[in-house]
Amino acid sequence: MAPLFRPGTDSVLRALIALALGVPAVSVAGLLLLARNPLGRGSFTPREQPVPFDHRHHVGDEGIPCGYCHEGAWRSPVAGVPPTQRCLGCHAQVWNESARLEPVRASGFDGTPLPWNRVHALPDYVWFSHQIHVNKGVGCVTCHGRVDTMPAVQQVAPLTMGWCLDCHRDPTPWLRPVSEVANLTWRPPGDARETGRAVQAALDVHPRTDCNTCHF
Amino acid sequence: MPLLTDPLPTEVPEPGEVRAWRSLEEWHAGGPGREAVSREHPPGAMLPPEGVARRTFLQLAAASLAAAGFSGCFRQPPEKILPYAKPPEGLTPGVPLHFATGLEWGGRTVGLVVESHEGRPTKVEGNPLHPASLGAAGVFEQAALLGLYDPARAKTARLQGVEAAWSTVRDALRKQAEREDGGAGLRFLVEPTGSPLVQALYARIQERFPRARIIPCGAALADGRREGTRLAYGRPLDVVHDVGRAVVVALDDDFLSTSQPGNLRAARDFMHARNPEALNRLWVAESTLTLTGGFADERLRMRPSQGVALMLALAAEVGAGLGASTPTHAPDAGGASGSPGTPTRAPDAGGASGSPGTPTRAPDAGGASGSRVTPTHAPDAGGASGSRVTPTHAHDAGGVSGSRVTPAFGEGLAGLRVPPTALTDVQRAWVRGAARDLLAHRGQGRVTVGPMQPPLVHELAFAVDEALGNTPRLLEPVALPEGGPEALFSLAKELSEGRVDTLIITAWNPAWTAEADSGFTSHLERVAFRLYHGLHEDETAALCHTFVPATHPFESWRDGRAPDGTASVLQPLIAPLFPGAVSEVELLSVFAGLESQSPYELLKSLWRERSGTPPDFEARWEKWLTDGVIPGTQAPPSRASLNEAAVLKDAREVSGQEPSLIIGNAPDLRAEARASHLWEAPEGLELSLVLDSRLYDGRFAGNAWLQELPEPVTKLTWDNAALLSPATARVLKLEKGDVARIEVLGQAVEVPVLVLPGQPDDTVTLALGHGRERVGPVGQGVGVNAYTLRFRDLPWGGASPTVTRTGRHHALALTQEHWSMEGRDLALQLTGEAFRAKPQALASLQEDGERLYPPTALLASERHQWAMAIDLHRCTGCSACMVACQTENNVPVVGRDGVLKSREMHWLRIDRYFLGDPDDPGFITQPVACVHCEAAPCEYVCPVNATVHSDEGLNQMVYNRCIGTRYCSNNCPYKVRRFNYLEYQRREPLTRLRQNPDVTVRSRGVMEKCTYCVQRIERARTVARSAHRDIREGEVRTACQQACPTEAITFGDLRAPESAVRRAHEDPRHYKLLNMLGTRPRTVHLVRLKNPAPKGGA
Repeated sequence: MAPLFRPGTDSVLRALIALALGVPAVSVAGLLLLARNPLGRGSFTPREQPVPFDHRHHVGDEGIPCGYCHEGAWRSPVAGVPPTQRCLGCHAQVWNESARLEPVRASGFDGTPLPWNRVHALPDYVWFSHQIHVNKGVGCVTCHGRVDTMPAVQQVAPLTMGWCLDCHRDPTPWLRPVSEVANLTWRPPGDARETGRAVQAALDVHPRTDCNTCHF
Repeated sequence: MPLLTDPLPTEVPEPGEVRAWRSLEEWHAGGPGREAVSREHPPGAMLPPEGVARRTFLQLAAASLAAAGFSGCFRQPPEKILPYAKPPEGLTPGVPLHFATGLEWGGRTVGLVVESHEGRPTKVEGNPLHPASLGAAGVFEQAALLGLYDPARAKTARLQGVEAAWSTVRDALRKQAEREDGGAGLRFLVEPTGSPLVQALYARIQERFPRARIIPCGAALADGRREGTRLAYGRPLDVVHDVGRAVVVALDDDFLSTSQPGNLRAARDFMHARNPEALNRLWVAESTLTLTGGFADERLRMRPSQGVALMLALAAEVGAGLGASTPTHAPDAGGASGSPGTPTRAPDAGGASGSPGTPTRAPDAGGASGSRVTPTHAPDAGGASGSRVTPTHAHDAGGVSGSRVTPAFGEGLAGLRVPPTALTDVQRAWVRGAARDLLAHRGQGRVTVGPMQPPLVHELAFAVDEALGNTPRLLEPVALPEGGPEALFSLAKELSEGRVDTLIITAWNPAWTAEADSGFTSHLERVAFRLYHGLHEDETAALCHTFVPATHPFESWRDGRAPDGTASVLQPLIAPLFPGAVSEVELLSVFAGLESQSPYELLKSLWRERSGTPPDFEARWEKWLTDGVIPGTQAPPSRASLNEAAVLKDAREVSGQEPSLIIGNAPDLRAEARASHLWEAPEGLELSLVLDSRLYDGRFAGNAWLQELPEPVTKLTWDNAALLSPATARVLKLEKGDVARIEVLGQAVEVPVLVLPGQPDDTVTLALGHGRERVGPVGQGVGVNAYTLRFRDLPWGGASPTVTRTGRHHALALTQEHWSMEGRDLALQLTGEAFRAKPQALASLQEDGERLYPPTALLASERHQWAMAIDLHRCTGCSACMVACQTENNVPVVGRDGVLKSREMHWLRIDRYFLGDPDDPGFITQPVACVHCEAAPCEYVCPVNATVHSDEGLNQMVYNRCIGTRYCSNNCPYKVRRFNYLEYQRREPLTRLRQNPDVTVRSRGVMEKCTYCVQRIERARTVARSAHRDIREGEVRTACQQACPTEAITFGDLRAPESAVRRAHEDPRHYKLLNMLGTRPRTVHLVRLKNPAPKGGA
């Protein structure tokens, strides 16, 4: 009679046990990693918008500065999305019969807002102010990327707390003169850290890392 | 530094042998530490709510289902951004705007500044430029915001019982207005209002319908003060509570309470005259324990009916004193001869009390930076509030004032007699002391009487004030229509006779507030067309087949007048949330024939006319709207002089009579009332009805913030109770929570009993305004309706009720027993004399105790170190700070069941302590919120670092880290942490509109507590640092600090050399709560100083 358990049985059993424990562990760990990863969260995919607004054209080609539409960034916690009226300031004259701009004209006429899709969403328990960052020499491009090259805007920075804190703990390499804040193509003339140090001294930049800086 | 083993420094508080206690149970137990008292939460507090187990299960099941299908787990739900199509003028999304407006209640307006986030009003603050506010906001004003977003508000109109649009109702009204009979059957039942616009509409209606009548209605109309002015001066006048005086004698007058119009200003004025360096003296005789009585230096318990006897005795004493001394002496001569123990008043004290507020207001106005009330208007603040110094006042302050009465009048007063049985020896001694003090401070005193006392008492109080040269502050009346409670009775008579075919009711809920014997409710059905205009489908709406939903005051254009007559334009903050709502002005304009104009147009044209149609009217109008005050509109001071003969005649009529014959508030006691058995039972119990300090006359019963706000004295929430003194309760064999049956003249209510120390014996006090039947889910059936015990001749009780036990028990939701602090000396008060003799008395409470842990290196910031100081000397306990905190920080309400389980969420609580004898105790209030210990015990025990310290001295609570162990709450010696046992935040659209977008809405399972309004610090920091400067002194004001009428709370930067908070931290009166624990609190309290009259010589 052949033995019930052959010499290899132990190995099979061990492998099975390893699989039984390992597969769930790895999959759980993988899911957790994915959940924490911007890729898994879909943060970096370009967002479709109700009107195919193209920053490449408006910023890149026409050279409209960021502050023309997002003026809140300089004086409010929120940068803001421009009111329909501002779109129509030009588009009442230019492309005023384009079918793609139909929702904009409709909104302008009947006063209903355009439902834009949010691209950069922070959790509700985070208080973030554009005003202080912009006035302390953090450029738009530092967090939002080269918007002037994006056909549809997407997130380029992870916007995680760790990422925020990296800069708050050592802001020097990321600072630029206030005059260059909205310049998407500006590069520090020499060493970024050296420029940053000068800006930090001039603007009295002291980022805080206490919880209550953002959470209350 | 005392060792940890040293006994507590109990010898410091002056009433060394006087035990502080917080409830009778604690007193009888011989002190705290008993099981029931010592537990932070009662047994069962952790249990889930009963009756929802199934729902909880379903919620859990749904949650696990969602978890099972990982979809949507990683990705945030898509969010929309909805920008304006056309942006409103001056608005930057994310930056709140502030608009000046106001709220009228009791016929008077308090000027307010309302914060608006993208068109949503989120916070009500006081208007620093408005004379009735001076930057403070009371509980009603602030909580009105919740009423705006009340989902129970009426939404649709009804015409003859059928739902209809407003336009349909308006057509029906137009038809009514086309009547030919001159308005013979047309009646308007309205609330008295100071609004010039509404008064102009009344005049216009009277012009069109000369035979129509406009009738006032309201629970507060039975006001003896107004009738008292008529008796004393020959015509009704307004009296401004002018209590910023060296000696204030208040007879049943709770001028610090929230339920009297003008209380914010009165409290501010009074505190200005109560400088810790030179204390004034407050004498209070009162028929229940009130905040004013708690503040008194010399408090006396009296039955409501003893008002006449006490005032007669006071007038007699003062009259005798006037005769004894020459009338020409200077005030300081009186001080020398009168009471030797009285602290000599600084020469400028009179000046300060003459124009309080004016010099200190300017920084406040500037503090509201970023608001529409810009600092550039500060000079106007001085102009607006300073102008209250009327000519008579300036006269006073100059110290050359004299009595305006003849010497014979003083002799007449001296001849008044009180029968020996009417007053006890204690009461006579009190009267003698008060009279002596008044005589010693001629021209600097004030005798003030509560509206519930009969007109005669007011009349005599004016006489005493005039005789002493105190010059009551009288104004020509501003509110219309005139008339007392008798107007409603004459209307009811007309209704019963069928002489009224159209009744338009804009007064608040008359069917519910009407006296039990008015017959108004029963005869209302006889009116063919009866229209009710109200915010809710309430008790009156149920009786009126035509109904028009009203707009909230923050939704409509109107104007109003402050107690001193100053007019304001009350602008809307938001379009009506429910499109069917109509404002009172719109409704009345149909009858006035002005409906072609909108309320805004009517208002503007009225004021254009009133200002004399100046060419720059538009600019002026804009400024009035911005400031919230129309300058130069104060009511003219009255030049009326005292009718001495009439006063003496009225006084002599009751002089020497038994008090039982002269109670009641009716101006002309009818013969049958005099003869009825009521007046012949002086030995029995006496009923006293009062307006509620939280619900007023009941109109705020649907407001959850106010229902859950602990009543300042009893600490009762979500109910009213019959208040009894300990001795009376023993006689009646009643205890706390026993339901008693109170019967008066055949009417009865069954109401739970609360034994209140300090309550006069044989007096049953019951608050009106509770027990609403149709008010929406919040106030439905909460408490007991006391209006059923109200009668024409006895509007404030006065009758002798029979009180019997029912044997039933009702659990009262008191916040009193919670978080007992184990009998340590916490809320301290000293006599001014003792403190001056030993200013270092508090030294042992000022140093920091030893700690086991090494000093923290966290407090590193060189820029700011935030701190707070709460001055018990100025805290009246009014609770405005609690509502401010609740609004600012999105603090939820937990309901009656929640309070019973000690789950209330108020970040800031006001502790109330009794001192000494339970029958006639001392009283002190103490606001306590997180004190932001530098060595915080909560931080050591949190396993997840959810509570940590900031480098600027804040004890931070990080909600998104909190896992709800509640270790921190267990380890907190101040018991100021609050736990979300349930999901309290309702996510309905209306509720969400109201919430402050700067503050996280906490969910179930999270701990929370006072943050020092860190969102305001961070907002101010962002603004300041963006402008490349540091935060300035006064730029950050916490919500509680901002609301406080008496400026008891100071907040600021300890590092700033000149900051007010630093001065407070260095004040010899400051002490650190529980300092022996070594917690190093950042909030210090300042001891309260009392100024009792010198003993002996009585």
